[in-house]
Amino acid sequence: MKYIFNYINNFLGFDIKKEKYSLINDDFFGKVAKIKAPTSWVRSTCGYCGVGCGLYIGVKNNKALYTKGDPSHPVNSGTLCPKGLSQHEIVNSTNRYKTPMLKKNGNLEESTWNEVFEFTSNKFKKIQEKYGNKSIACISTGQLLSEEFYTLGKFMQIGLKSNNFDGNTTLCMSSSVMGYKQTFGSDGPIGAYEDFSYADVIMLIGANIADNHPILKLHINKNEKITGKKPTIIVIDPRFSKTANMADIFVPLNPRSDLALINTLCYIIIKEDLIDKAFIKKRTSFYEEFKNHILCNYKPEDVSLITGIKVKELYTIARVYAKANKSMSAWTMGVNHSSIGTDTVSAICNLAIITGNIGKRGATALSITGQCNAMGTRESGFTSSIPGYRNFSSLKDRSDYAKIINVPIEDIPSSRGYSYPQIIDAIERGEIKALYIVATNPLLSYPDQNKLRSALNKLELLVVQDAFKSETSLIADVVFAASTWAEKEGTYTNSERRCNYVKKALEPLGSTKSDFDIFIEFSKYFEGLNKKLFPKWNKPLNAFNEWKKVSKDRLCDYSHMTYELIEELGGIQWPCNENFPTGKTRLYDENMPCHTDNGKMKLLSLDWIDLPENINKDFPLILNTGRTVEQWHTRTKTKTISILNNLAPEAWIEINPKDTLKLKVKSGDRLSISSKRGKIHNIIVKESESIREGQIFVPFHFDVQLINSLTLAVFDEKSFEPNYKQCAVQLHSKKVPHGIIYQKEKEI
Amino acid sequence: MSLNTSTPLESFLSYKADTKGQCGNYSIDIQKPKEGEQYRFHFDANACIGCHCCEVACNEQNANESDVKWRRVGESTSGTFPDVAHHFNSMSCNHCIDPECLKGCPTSSYIKFDNGIVFHEDETCIGCQYCTWNCPYEVPVFNKDRGIVTKCDMCHDKLEIGQTPACVQACPSNAIQIEIVNIKTWQEKDMYKDGVAPHLCDVNITKPTTRYTLKENKGNIKTADDHIIKANHSEWPLVFMTILSQISLGSFLTLTIIDLFNFYSFELSLNNIYMILAAFLPAAIGLPLSALHLGRPILAFTAIKNIKTSWLSREALALGIYTLGMSILIIVYFLELNKNIKLLSEIIILLIGIYGIYAQSMIYRIKARPSWNKKETNQIFFSVGYIGIFLSALVLILSEEYTSAIMIIPFATILAFCQFILSLKQDLFYRYLDKNDKNFYQLNKTKILYENKFNKENKLRKIILLISTLLFPILIIYLLEKQEYKLSIVLLILTLVMSFISEIISRSLFYKTAVAHGLEGNFFAGSQR
Repeated sequence: MKYIFNYINNFLGFDIKKEKYSLINDDFFGKVAKIKAPTSWVRSTCGYCGVGCGLYIGVKNNKALYTKGDPSHPVNSGTLCPKGLSQHEIVNSTNRYKTPMLKKNGNLEESTWNEVFEFTSNKFKKIQEKYGNKSIACISTGQLLSEEFYTLGKFMQIGLKSNNFDGNTTLCMSSSVMGYKQTFGSDGPIGAYEDFSYADVIMLIGANIADNHPILKLHINKNEKITGKKPTIIVIDPRFSKTANMADIFVPLNPRSDLALINTLCYIIIKEDLIDKAFIKKRTSFYEEFKNHILCNYKPEDVSLITGIKVKELYTIARVYAKANKSMSAWTMGVNHSSIGTDTVSAICNLAIITGNIGKRGATALSITGQCNAMGTRESGFTSSIPGYRNFSSLKDRSDYAKIINVPIEDIPSSRGYSYPQIIDAIERGEIKALYIVATNPLLSYPDQNKLRSALNKLELLVVQDAFKSETSLIADVVFAASTWAEKEGTYTNSERRCNYVKKALEPLGSTKSDFDIFIEFSKYFEGLNKKLFPKWNKPLNAFNEWKKVSKDRLCDYSHMTYELIEELGGIQWPCNENFPTGKTRLYDENMPCHTDNGKMKLLSLDWIDLPENINKDFPLILNTGRTVEQWHTRTKTKTISILNNLAPEAWIEINPKDTLKLKVKSGDRLSISSKRGKIHNIIVKESESIREGQIFVPFHFDVQLINSLTLAVFDEKSFEPNYKQCAVQLHSKKVPHGIIYQKEKEI
Repeated sequence: MSLNTSTPLESFLSYKADTKGQCGNYSIDIQKPKEGEQYRFHFDANACIGCHCCEVACNEQNANESDVKWRRVGESTSGTFPDVAHHFNSMSCNHCIDPECLKGCPTSSYIKFDNGIVFHEDETCIGCQYCTWNCPYEVPVFNKDRGIVTKCDMCHDKLEIGQTPACVQACPSNAIQIEIVNIKTWQEKDMYKDGVAPHLCDVNITKPTTRYTLKENKGNIKTADDHIIKANHSEWPLVFMTILSQISLGSFLTLTIIDLFNFYSFELSLNNIYMILAAFLPAAIGLPLSALHLGRPILAFTAIKNIKTSWLSREALALGIYTLGMSILIIVYFLELNKNIKLLSEIIILLIGIYGIYAQSMIYRIKARPSWNKKETNQIFFSVGYIGIFLSALVLILSEEYTSAIMIIPFATILAFCQFILSLKQDLFYRYLDKNDKNFYQLNKTKILYENKFNKENKLRKIILLISTLLFPILIIYLLEKQEYKLSIVLLILTLVMSFISEIISRSLFYKTAVAHGLEGNFFAGSQR
């Protein structure tokens, strides 16, 4: 009856819902929508990307209704990207798990924590008994809180005694980790966002910040008012991305020719004597070898052919970069997603080092991280190193760590186990029988999907711990239903080493538990394990306090941080100790030696290697993959947020008009893409001058047009990071089903 | 309300973030406009990175669902790789000096504040959506949930008390700012230089106040939604309302002319009450139908508020009086009053009816929709009257006034033929569409809709029209001469039904193929209107 009355009321137009759409005064943020007006604001940190923005969560009746940028936070000064602004919607998303799930009769059914923990621990024990401790592997993420990473690492490595433990960070950041390690002796991004505001030259290489880290633009904006002139922005990218739109100099290099490009810039700089001699002498080693290597092998004339950039342009770029008072470079996946990513990172560092652009305000070589806490897992996660950037191979590091956490040294693994891709291979070989996946979605994000899927079929047990229904969780035997951002407490560390406090604003949805609680509770199902590793641990602060001890006197020193101090300062950039009680803006300034043997930066002689899979008769185009601002990774969080999803609801393929002409297609038509590894259908064409003839771009977020079924499972030898960014493909349109005819590249 | 403990600041309203601009801050330092000044947006296309923060922030501020966007970001690209530029345009309302939304609004629901903000008064809006047609930027947007149109008001109640509008606050690039503009110098000079942006319509239409800092156009600019050619709403209530009222006028014209001829002693049949009913009923059915397209049908009668500037108000009032006049005339017929009084009132009602249909056609003569803004629109609207003449002929035959019927049928056929010619003319217009037409982008999409998507319908309409209004009438006259009355009645009914269907098709295409001026769109979501 009421329904009919309402219907008539609405139909005739008596009710224009004035109240519903009115504003109300909020004491803290001014006028807000009345229907969403919170009763409290909880200060926290954004859970999406590695920029690490401070925000306030507006809460009413245990519902998140608003996310607003924290104007006092040094990272974002009150702004948030579109995902951040709508982030409150993820908490009650229809795509979330509300209870743990267990596969019964082939279907995932709602279960209880006791049942799933019992089932999984029994299975784990049986499998380990039968196949050995290392037959259980874990792939974690960059999405958890540092406290959770630390707890999970201890649980897997020491508790379950399997070092076959890695994170999806190997799919995004590991080349930067290894690159920093080989140049500076340790991981750790050396600069700060502030550098964007002070640099005279900003060189963005393989970094589409407009789509992926929009808030960094805030820091570039300030530059002109601070320095009195506009910075020169160089964007190096095979594609004219949204970021390229900011460029004063756009460098449309050939795919994967970045290392050669950087090396030849060094060549020109050395030849023209634009190097910082004093800096090189005082702070670096191996300069002579480096110089010879560069001068012998990377002449601009040769590199011009590799990169497709004219010699004259190469000189311009080198001069602009080297002659500026302060130059900075920043990179992300364009560099990392490469079979030579580690060396490319070091090459970028070389360029910064020989020009003295290290450790000064506005002069740096900054790796921008992808996930909200990729840094946290790099430091505390126990995957590629023992927590606190300690080496598995160092007896001292092992014994130091064993002492701090009060376990026998034999319990500490002496070598790194399998990396993410090696774990997949080991599953394929039948060596690993159980896989524990935490907050990542390989069924969308891993390259060469067909191979991956056939490997996962061989598992005896697949456990997925996630807050959201991911493609991977749907094929799991057990799902640990986790709480998500806003429902748990801890810290994230961002790209500039800033540790931010993440406050719990809401009680967990349904019967979900925070990842921390899941690890602690689950550990109780293994004999003596909980008591030994997590004595009386019941809140993330227990882990944080141990982590502070573990990181003390290490480069990533958190020892002087407290949740209260982090919150007060709007995050603290490590190291934070007696010497730097409020943190340190940048590493390796005049007074700070590196973590190499002699404290100096290594100038490494590095070589460019051509694409692992080049174009050929059958596959004459290069596929480049990437992201779009509206979606987050595999869309588990963003696909239910209609204001974002409507703008990018499915994948598209960017094709140069010259190629669309050959394929007889136009924008809005649909076609298929194939590579050696697979084929995807029904993808919508976006005719675009943003991409060069012979190359195509497809975003990777989407499950229907699963681009990772085409990408190449070739990995960087040092970091194990996949070469996502280039592989050879063919396009098949309705009118030209056999695709484009291969033409050998014209000589320049 | 409380902040959790250890919050460093009491309130963010007075806090100034170090962004070197208006962005980021929840408060804004800007003076109030003085006499002759107003607020305006500045959009810096060089700063914008196309991140859509402003759109999301706007919807968050105003609790709008994702399909009601007051601010949208348009995207286009110019140049040839690698010498390319992306052109973003984040646009909400341009708070025009001469707003078309305001002029066309039949309920006077738009107010231009002294500070220049174009404000929409929700309470009086009836949801007719005429403003969504009139605004050449497609700014006003219908909110289904509310049954009314809503739009950006520059967060005027925030601005009033020094709070930053949501979009300005949210932009991480400081690409959107609020400024004060001197109205006189702007509309006389600066507007032509700084108010112009790619893809947007001629600034003379509404004199928008948004100031643009543009990115260099590298040539061959293409909008991201170039490929999206989406049919517009069918507007069924309006399709029927307009056609029925136009039929009514045809019938009424017939009736009046017959009386006029009789007045000058031609020996035509005398009009009976059925003749007036034939004119009255279509209008009486059609007019209320139009209320169905309103978000708030209950307030339909308030549409006559703005006869000063709104053609919609004029139409509503004129056709209202016309229909009312006819109902009084029915009584006059019933009481069989004086012939001359009858004729005089018929002429007056006819003139009002003609004005009503003229006003009705002028509703569509709007610059924002080029496919409508042609004199043919007025002609087509009047020509539909041929069906009314056929209808009158049917009444005459049924009243056994065969001679009169034979006399008027040729007039209907001639008018129908005019309609046919207008259809052909339209086809030719689109076939040979002038590339240099300043509305080429919109008209070309209309052309594609007519020639591809609705090609069949468009052809069918003409075939039916030819058969039912040219072929059948010859047969009908022949049959009448042969005194085959029953057959002629059947055929005439067929003519009426078929020509009615033909006009319905044509009119629905008229609505469906309208492509509006507005902001360029998004690759997937188009213009989001």
